[in-house]
Amino acid sequence: MANARATTSRARSAIFAPIGDEGRAVRVENRLAEAIRSGVLADGDRLPSELELAQMLGVATVTAREALVSLRAQGLVVTTRGRGGGSFVRAPDPGDVVKGRLATMSRVELRDRASLYQVVLTGCAELAAERAAPDEVEDLQDLLIPLDGDDVGRWRDAESELYLSVAALTQSARLTREVVRQEADFGTLLRVPLSESDFRHASAARHRALVAALEGGDVAAARGSVRDHVTHAVERLTEIHEVVRP
Amino acid sequence: MNIDVSAACAARIEQHFGSILAELERVRAEVGALFAAGPVTSDALIAQVETGTLAFLQDPNLLGGGFVVAPDALADRRLYLAWWQGPGRDFLGEAEVPATGEAIDYTRQPWFRVPERTGELYVAGPYVDFICADEYVLTTTLPVYAGGRMVGVAGADSSVETLETMLLPGLREVGATLVNSHGRVVVSADPHLATGEALNDVPAEARAGRLLSVVRRSADGPGEQMTLAGWPS
Repeated sequence: MANARATTSRARSAIFAPIGDEGRAVRVENRLAEAIRSGVLADGDRLPSELELAQMLGVATVTAREALVSLRAQGLVVTTRGRGGGSFVRAPDPGDVVKGRLATMSRVELRDRASLYQVVLTGCAELAAERAAPDEVEDLQDLLIPLDGDDVGRWRDAESELYLSVAALTQSARLTREVVRQEADFGTLLRVPLSESDFRHASAARHRALVAALEGGDVAAARGSVRDHVTHAVERLTEIHEVVRP
Repeated sequence: MNIDVSAACAARIEQHFGSILAELERVRAEVGALFAAGPVTSDALIAQVETGTLAFLQDPNLLGGGFVVAPDALADRRLYLAWWQGPGRDFLGEAEVPATGEAIDYTRQPWFRVPERTGELYVAGPYVDFICADEYVLTTTLPVYAGGRMVGVAGADSSVETLETMLLPGLREVGATLVNSHGRVVVSADPHLATGEALNDVPAEARAGRLLSVVRRSADGPGEQMTLAGWPS
């Protein structure tokens, strides 16, 4: 707990560190918006006043004000007047967070992240197929959701856990830590299309193929099923991206 | 036919790359004269190009730029990059192999090699540049000569991300794709055509030797891609 607090306060001081000369309202806005979306600044947290914020970030008061106006317009900050008033963080809905992140991303960045994710996960699938013991693979069956399940959150969690388990089956702590990072960074985006039932069904088939390949120690098939899945998900995500980006 | 819209898109390309070309020609004259006047040290080169380059790099749509010397053109160094890049416009100097610190020989890079061979303006990429910016970029380079030999290339980097933001709205209006001189996609209205992919049905003659072309599948039937605009025009 003490540890978690230390990370949070380090993250907080990074947010409030001085911003460079070229930093203007947009950079202040992006930094605060990112902190709110990632939860470093929690719902209900009071933000420093315009004047304090400007001093902390090393920008003009008018720049801090401009950033706050825009954060208010995005619904990430609410300002109340009078005694006990001020600007407060309004944490957005988790689904909106992911779509919000997607909207701020360029197509090139999306593909860049997807490439890294795909290479790491297909590599894990190969090693896992080589190294996993039969009883270890058996446990993965529990992560295959019945096709008629329509709890999207459960599908997302199960897929993430499946891929993390595959990473752990490589017996490499470094690879597993990398996948944990990838899951936090890109996994949440990759799972946006799971809200569509056709996509869920196609995903389920690929995940079943993956588990079967791991059971059979089939390196090429394990790799292929992860590759198919990531490719398909990225294709669908790219289409969603076209719609959500401004 | 949306000629006006494609003209607007072409104008945006001309505005960006045209201003790069004007700067590279300015550097060519400046650096060419410096080398023609006698032996040049790295310090003298920096003193000559820094102010002008940094003024040019005020444009936030540029990732970096400067002058890169040909091997042994300088009196005191074999390889050198008088190059400024990134949000802080940091000076590069020498590019090193990560971990070993050895100087990287950049002369095999297309942005150096192609203009060296052709003697002409070139747009390299899209490629991931691990020598300068560690970013996904297009590099525009122009060879610079003094005393009958190439003394280096003047160049500027544009990030693919910046070009996407700048050009995608215009390309979408006409459903077109910007390709490089090899027919590789830079930015496309079609989200499934990723940057770097080869567009196989662009006939080489449609690009007419241009460094950048805006192409679109012809409206009647399953025809080939036709060129709407090109750069340099």
